[in-house]
Amino acid sequence: MSDFDLDRLGDVWRRQPDPAEMEKLQRTAAAVSRRARLGQIVDIGAALAVAGVVVLLVLNNPQLNTFVLGAAAILILLFSVFRQRQLRAAELRGLTGSTEEMLDQSIERVLATRKRNLFGTISMVPGLAIGYFFASAVFPQSGNQRFATMIANSGSGRFVFLAAIVAILLATLVWLIRSIRASDRELERLRALRDAFAREDQISQAE
Amino acid sequence: MDIKQSPNMAAASEANGAIPPFERIVADYGPLISRIAMSYEADPSLREDLVQQIFLAVWQALPSYRADASLKTFIARVAQNRSISFVTRQVRQGPVAEIPDRLEDDLPNPEESAIEANERQMLLDATRRLPLPQRQVIILILEGFTYPEIAEMLEIAPNALALRLSRAKAALKSMLEEAQ
Repeated sequence: MSDFDLDRLGDVWRRQPDPAEMEKLQRTAAAVSRRARLGQIVDIGAALAVAGVVVLLVLNNPQLNTFVLGAAAILILLFSVFRQRQLRAAELRGLTGSTEEMLDQSIERVLATRKRNLFGTISMVPGLAIGYFFASAVFPQSGNQRFATMIANSGSGRFVFLAAIVAILLATLVWLIRSIRASDRELERLRALRDAFAREDQISQAE
Repeated sequence: MDIKQSPNMAAASEANGAIPPFERIVADYGPLISRIAMSYEADPSLREDLVQQIFLAVWQALPSYRADASLKTFIARVAQNRSISFVTRQVRQGPVAEIPDRLEDDLPNPEESAIEANERQMLLDATRRLPLPQRQVIILILEGFTYPEIAEMLEIAPNALALRLSRAKAALKSMLEEAQ
């Protein structure tokens, strides 16, 4: 490769894959499109099923509180579908735009994830306490309280129950901290890459 | 998917104003996607994952394709962007453009002549060592895109592209000479 001819190198680069390689690529693509179509069907099916169940529950128990809870459930479902579409559209814009735009979007996404996880970590304990007191106040005679009384009276059961709660809390905390660290590493890479593109632009302008 | 390789069938559909079926796109542009994935990811198992992610991204992005650029340009842009976001997500030590180890899957297939295979391997290794902004330009040149197409794809001015390409060529040349 003594002569540096990009056209010739291009010919070397664009060597056609052999039929076996090509067949593998087509199999992979077929599997991907099948999964993606199935995913779309499952998404729509799940949303319809949840909405149907909520409507049935409201119709079977036509009271104000079931109506309010049903409406809230439908609203949450609609919001989640809308949010997912928004995220997908943003991701697509990133993929079909310039690399710099894609990197900027990725940095924003990782920062948002990091902030959310950090907030989740910090607010986990007070959030659980507030949630417990709120539930106790709103549902004083609920099954949860009967369950708590049963646990409290069962001796070793109480210990196992508390240990399970602590283990779940610790696992969640570890997961959140790991997510924050992973976000930090990804941010470092994205910013380094964004700087590399900015440097290229600066060099071009200087020349 | 029983579509034989017949180049430019997707381009022909595109010229008629219709987005060709995904299977046709894979038949025509699968090798382009595979080469772009190969130039960003050296690890064969991760590369397989990357190829799948590119196919998925193309499948999802296809409805948003407008014929203001060629389909090949659109697919190359999606493939490059997905590859770059893929490598930044990998939890590894060291910079993105670190020299990867030579891996078994990169070795030539028996049908290639030894010289051509060696040349292609050196080219691939050297390309992977380029900083990402330069690698992006070199890959597009090697894929046969014209300067205006590349400038439009990367959204940079033609003179900025010429300068970036000039630096990328110099870096690639020096790496290929080192490898000899």
